[in-house]
Amino acid sequence: MTVERTGEQVHQGRYDAVIVGAGWSGSLLAKNLSERGWTVLLLEAGEGGTQTWDGYLESVATFRSAVAKVPNSAYHRNVLAPSPDVLDLSPRPSTGNGTPPYTAHGYFVQNGAHPYRTDYVRALGGAGMHWLGAVPRMHPEDFATKTRFGYGRDWPITAADLQPFYAAAERELGVAGNTKEQRELGVITDHDYVYPMHEVPTSHIDEHCRKIDGATITDGMGVERELRVTGLPQARNSTPNPGYDSKKGYRPKGAVGLPNYGERCVGNASCVPICPVQAKSSPLRLQHASNDKVTLATRSVVTRVLSARGKRVDGVEYRTYTGSGTKAKAGAHHRVKADIVILAGHAIENARLLLHSGLANSSTQVGKNLMDHPTTLAWALADSQVGPYRGPGHTSGWEEFRFGKGREKRSPFRIEISNWGWSWSTGAPMSNVAQALGVGGGKNGRVKDEGLFGPELRWALGDTIGRQLQLQIAVEQPADPRNRVTIAPDRTDAMGNPRPIITYDLHDHVRKGVYAAYIASKGIFKELGAKEMTDHRPVDGVPPLGHFLYDGTDLTYQGAGHGAGTHIMGERPEDSVVDSYQKTHDHPNLYAVGCGSMPSIGTSNPTLTMAALALRSAERIHQDLLALRRKATVGAGLKAAKEKP
Amino acid sequence: MASIPADVQKFIEQCVALTGFCEFDLHATGMGQTYLETARDQVGSARFEEFLKTLAQREGTLVKPKDLDSTDREIARAVVYLWYTGAWPRLAETAHTELRPNETNTEFVVSAGSYVEGLVWHTFNGHPVGARPPGFGTWSVRPAEPPSICQITKECGLSQKHEEGHSDGVEAAVLARLRHPGPLTARHVPPSVVPAARAPRQEGDPR
Ligand SMILES: Cc1cc2nc3c(=O)[nH]c(=O)nc-3n(C[C@H](O)[C@H](O)[C@H](O)COP(=O)(O)OP(=O)(O)OC[C@H]3O[C@@H](n4cnc5c(N)ncnc54)[C@H](O)[C@@H]3O)c2cc1C
Ligand code: SF4
Repeated sequence: MTVERTGEQVHQGRYDAVIVGAGWSGSLLAKNLSERGWTVLLLEAGEGGTQTWDGYLESVATFRSAVAKVPNSAYHRNVLAPSPDVLDLSPRPSTGNGTPPYTAHGYFVQNGAHPYRTDYVRALGGAGMHWLGAVPRMHPEDFATKTRFGYGRDWPITAADLQPFYAAAERELGVAGNTKEQRELGVITDHDYVYPMHEVPTSHIDEHCRKIDGATITDGMGVERELRVTGLPQARNSTPNPGYDSKKGYRPKGAVGLPNYGERCVGNASCVPICPVQAKSSPLRLQHASNDKVTLATRSVVTRVLSARGKRVDGVEYRTYTGSGTKAKAGAHHRVKADIVILAGHAIENARLLLHSGLANSSTQVGKNLMDHPTTLAWALADSQVGPYRGPGHTSGWEEFRFGKGREKRSPFRIEISNWGWSWSTGAPMSNVAQALGVGGGKNGRVKDEGLFGPELRWALGDTIGRQLQLQIAVEQPADPRNRVTIAPDRTDAMGNPRPIITYDLHDHVRKGVYAAYIASKGIFKELGAKEMTDHRPVDGVPPLGHFLYDGTDLTYQGAGHGAGTHIMGERPEDSVVDSYQKTHDHPNLYAVGCGSMPSIGTSNPTLTMAALALRSAERIHQDLLALRRKATVGAGLKAAKEKP
Repeated sequence: MASIPADVQKFIEQCVALTGFCEFDLHATGMGQTYLETARDQVGSARFEEFLKTLAQREGTLVKPKDLDSTDREIARAVVYLWYTGAWPRLAETAHTELRPNETNTEFVVSAGSYVEGLVWHTFNGHPVGARPPGFGTWSVRPAEPPSICQITKECGLSQKHEEGHSDGVEAAVLARLRHPGPLTARHVPPSVVPAARAPRQEGDPR
């Protein structure tokens, strides 16, 4: 098991590798490198606590008590290792003089034409604590959009290069999926492969949608597709597949801190922000399963990477704190040394650290090409009870608009069929109660006359909440250097570290994709005989967050949590930051890993691909360390020979 | 077993007509005492007693908004919101000014436990999101139809005002009066502040 130490205790230590950040990337690398015999220090900015069952239950209670059940609602605000929060953004009426249509409080400074609506959480496990656990692979054509469709950036490697690492990542994350369907989609190419677990059962809502299988839908850019509901691969415990791994099978990994618990998803329906039983996979599992060559220190905020002679780096500087949340108190600065330094703080934090350290930026691309999956919501009332608010966030989707012809015209999109009613789009079902009652008064502040009580109220809510359908349509955003992270000396957090300054917008190709998706959703609701309720219009003259007009049509986008692209991968040091192993072009022993390396993210939730890349990097780092040891041994041998009389 | 305090018992009896849930269901939440205290706290003890007195005059019958004066109506709504969601809502400005001008008028969840006991989940035969998981694969099962207005009224032991046997017409009329929530324009907007859904835009509407 990982050894836990305080930041003070590991001060002045020396490790084979030091890893900044104990999220998915950092935890995967730590486990993998330690299994190969290397000593690893994981420095984590956030607080721990969730690795004990009591601590975890505290987070569950924090979530239950929150008014807005947003991704960070299970974690308290930490002033010394702050996180961005979707609650930080507010819409603002246009003044017509070029001020952006939003205000941003909190950790991010935002100065783009439109808000970057994605958050992450700096706590042990990172965004892997509040993620949904959707883990589709990327499609071969996603790796070469420039060559094939004329937009975005190509990868220096192909989907074929990643296949074995995808499989390894699916083992580490514990993936359940329908292998046949994914093979038909073209994302799994190995004929013998099966997922570790059978697919998570699909929902009654999926079944409801399946009745329009075979219908042809045209999107807003004239692209036509025939629909077929397809299941979603998920990092969530389901029935193990006895045929997995040449019939060796797979044993689901359950909760950390409570043995024999969480080995099946039991349908809490709160995967984002927190799974109460830990049936959803999280990096805590990997930390728990690592050997004692991994040392973990939480409450240790890395402030910069230290340079050594030549192009090498030497280790990192970090600062500890005591206490927690808003009462945290900053401690001393510390240093540790390592042969290999690995940044795994996630896209924006990695860019911030590189910029602040003045490293790896000969290409001037650090911080640039920030991406997300701008997600547009569409919602409707079905013609019968569908059973919302049950099961994982989504268990199926329509994949047809993700690939093929049409990508040259507009960004492709993946249509997620939500199992959670209108919660994201309208704040349902609580907002249903408020509206049905008429509580809160009218615009004039007076008590409303109309509203329901008693049996009428109960029946009307049951009838209509039970019919809520929502689609979450994630649109590909290509790398664009105009979307970027910068820092400035006068914009710092409470510990004195630079805050990320974000400049963000949706450019033409994406906007077309959002519009295309919106029109497709209308067609789908029509086929389903559902009453469309989607509404992106300004409310009382104030455009909602993420609002833009496309050809006179009101549209909005949400953030997906899929930050990527800030230390982009490429063959050439002139226009990319890391090579295909995520090693910085400029420094032979400095790696920056995570979604920040990805040149494109297609329409797949990025973490599985990110995990595959991390495992691919682990092999290279292992080779690097072996080479360093050989050099050291040879060096020592020569020295010893010289010293012999 | 400790017996139920008289004021809690009375409060629960009075909440049946407001919520459309029978006494047993309300007791089963274990929240009666907490909600009574929350309401007294929010509205003021004396004012809440007054409200309950007014309500007592209507005991055993269905309550319509127009049966109550405007502040009582808003108190009644807040109490129902509490039962349905475990949270106290934001009130209409005028009611808030009359009741608690010196406190902030903002939605809050009473406790982690009250969230779990929200009755809204029962209306569509669901379970609170993030608690009381129904088990592996249950999300594939066809959901049961919610009971009709007549059934609910009977179950609550309330006297029927409208003619029996015409439930379709009654239900259509209720749906016509029902407001749905509109878009959540920012993630920090509490549920009780979300605007009402609007009619879809028609050709030629002003922008
Ligand atoms: C709401 C939401 C839902 C999501 N759902 C999905 C999904 O379904 N599928 C999917 O593929 N992806 C999903 N994602 C994205 C996914 O969570 C991320 O891609 C993934 O967790 C990134 O892993 P990481 O280890 O690179 O970074 P993180 O998880 O962000 O971990 C980075 C770690 O580094 C630490 N750190 C940061 N700065 C420092 C510092 N200076 N010093 C020390 N430590 C530091 C952080 O505290 C954190 O623990 C979702 C994201 C969100 C927000
Ligand atoms: S549906 Fe429930 S049990 Fe399953 S992963 Fe999500 S939160 Fe956990």
